[in-house]
Amino acid sequence: MTPLKQSLELGLSLCRTCGLVVSREALRIDPRCPRCQSRIEQRTPFSIETTLAWLIAGIVFYIPANLLPVMHTSGLLGEQDSTILGGILEFWRSGDWDIALLIFIASVAVPFTKFIAIGLLLFTVRKNSRWQQHQRTVLYRIVEFIGYWSMLDVIVVALTSALMQFQVLGTAEPRAGIAFFCAVVVVTMLSALSFDPRLIWDRPA
Amino acid sequence: MSVGSPVNPILICRDCDTVYRAIPLRRGDVALCRRCDAVLARHFGANVESGLALVCAAAIFFAIANLTPILSIDIAGMETKANIWFAVRSLQQGWISVAALGLAFTTFVIPAVQIALLFWVLLFARIGHRPPGFGPIMKLLHHLRPWSMTEVFLLGALVAIVKLANWVPIAAGAGIWAIAALTIVLALLGRCDPASWWLIAPADKT
Repeated sequence: MTPLKQSLELGLSLCRTCGLVVSREALRIDPRCPRCQSRIEQRTPFSIETTLAWLIAGIVFYIPANLLPVMHTSGLLGEQDSTILGGILEFWRSGDWDIALLIFIASVAVPFTKFIAIGLLLFTVRKNSRWQQHQRTVLYRIVEFIGYWSMLDVIVVALTSALMQFQVLGTAEPRAGIAFFCAVVVVTMLSALSFDPRLIWDRPA
Repeated sequence: MSVGSPVNPILICRDCDTVYRAIPLRRGDVALCRRCDAVLARHFGANVESGLALVCAAAIFFAIANLTPILSIDIAGMETKANIWFAVRSLQQGWISVAALGLAFTTFVIPAVQIALLFWVLLFARIGHRPPGFGPIMKLLHHLRPWSMTEVFLLGALVAIVKLANWVPIAAGAGIWAIAALTIVLALLGRCDPASWWLIAPADKT
């Protein structure tokens, strides 16, 4: 089998937007993709810095997302503010362990996995580590795939607030925590999208 | 009109930058990167007709999902209903509205734009023309892809049912089936190799 080569060694570049392979010779004249007109870069510029910036924003937003209530309910049983963790505990206590687990995965486990995984990827890429390159690439793909499932809680709160509009029996309203949670999802997705996985495989020059 | 399989004579892995010489793929074949197992290319089984049929199905399901209730509660004649748009509106409260904006884009605006643009592109491909704005449209579709969250909405609706069923008589409406069908159709459309979509329209003659 022929040894595997990276595009740099063969004078080629990949357009990450449309998938066209372009010779670097042609890019020297015009740095844009001849098919889709996107700018072609050998590596995403400032990938590490951008990913880190969005990651930090995500961690910062995650704090009020958990401390502030996401929903306010009032009705015959009195008034109540509930947080994400409080909601999970309530399901757990009332015996709905499956729903508790689902919300726990989407709202707690997924964001945490993203923070740790992106942090690990950034740290190892900065150190030009050759450790577990294949596994780290798979980790990147997992982060990309699980990203948007955290939107689950935002949707549940929105639907509950839309439905629970009975003056006497009970009403539900969204609270600030849910906006922060929505921000966490968007910002961590931007973080994962800014990361260029090819950095995992690059050798220090 | 079917499209031939080899997309580029040369393939480059998106995830690790390894270069490969492409070989023709047969039905059901997926080319994986030897170094990092990323998908390099899939056999492009979709043709313009089936793509157009899927897009039309998606448009119909999207319309049903937004015109019929997804969930409803009926307590002694008092009824509340919810669909995507009601959910978005319920988040419109002061500055929390940024969450409403996020929800509106990911579950309503972006899926609608995706369906409309794919319909536009495939309709022109069907009559053998390159649609106006083909390049920018394909670029936009590529960038919108990660932000389309119909399947998350479906799961959210199911969680809401279980959550509220403990204290109120909640029922699923026709909309929830439409959302489920829409999820499947969008997944089928999305499974096609994005690089191959560039080949569905004949090259620019100008």
